[in-house]
Amino acid sequence: MKFNAYAGMIASSWLLAAMVVASELAPSFKQALASAFSHHWIGKGVLTALAFVIIGFAFASNAGKIAGKRQEDAAWWSALGSLVVIIAFFVFEFVS
Amino acid sequence: MRDLVYFAHLLLGMALVALPFVIRSLLEKKSALAKPVSIATAALSWIMLLPSGILYTVFYPATKTVVKAGSWPWAHSIVMETKEHWGLLLPVIVTLAAILVLQNKGKESRKWWLLAAVLALLIGVLGRIVKMGAGA
Repeated sequence: MKFNAYAGMIASSWLLAAMVVASELAPSFKQALASAFSHHWIGKGVLTALAFVIIGFAFASNAGKIAGKRQEDAAWWSALGSLVVIIAFFVFEFVS
Repeated sequence: MRDLVYFAHLLLGMALVALPFVIRSLLEKKSALAKPVSIATAALSWIMLLPSGILYTVFYPATKTVVKAGSWPWAHSIVMETKEHWGLLLPVIVTLAAILVLQNKGKESRKWWLLAAVLALLIGVLGRIVKMGAGA
């Protein structure tokens, strides 16, 4: 069974970062997550996990480059980028 | 109930700091145990979300009120918000590392195990800061 974990990682990382920012800037989105999953945090977790699985299988046979980078590197920088975006966003939101 | 969940959360978190180093060592020795331990670690990283979720959704709201009213409101607004969301990426990172081991890409998995351990440790430190913000 083929699975492209790097593609899944890239999708999960950026989806999570996007959901974090969107749910803080758009309360209606946060409320929609809470309504659908009983809590916005659970919603983000479920969707992040689903993105990993679905994109991992969808791109199982694709070993090409992403944005000119090897998938391994793109996944690595996506994970680090997501973590940095998350903390930077909350710092910015607190001080602004 | 709260103490039981808290200790489960703490123990699983500590396991997720230590096990990546165990796996890196097993990969170094080309041990056959690397694959089963990787699978178990990935499973633990998802199981960890259960006590995390119970603590966050059931017990944390009361703590949040105390933290936000205290002298360290940033302990919630920055630290807890970051912790709760970094925690969602941790099982994905651990699972990716485990999949690489299963795909016989042990060398490629090494930096992901290191990232998982560092992230688990940082999440633990952030948790401690939140507790201090609540006056614990």
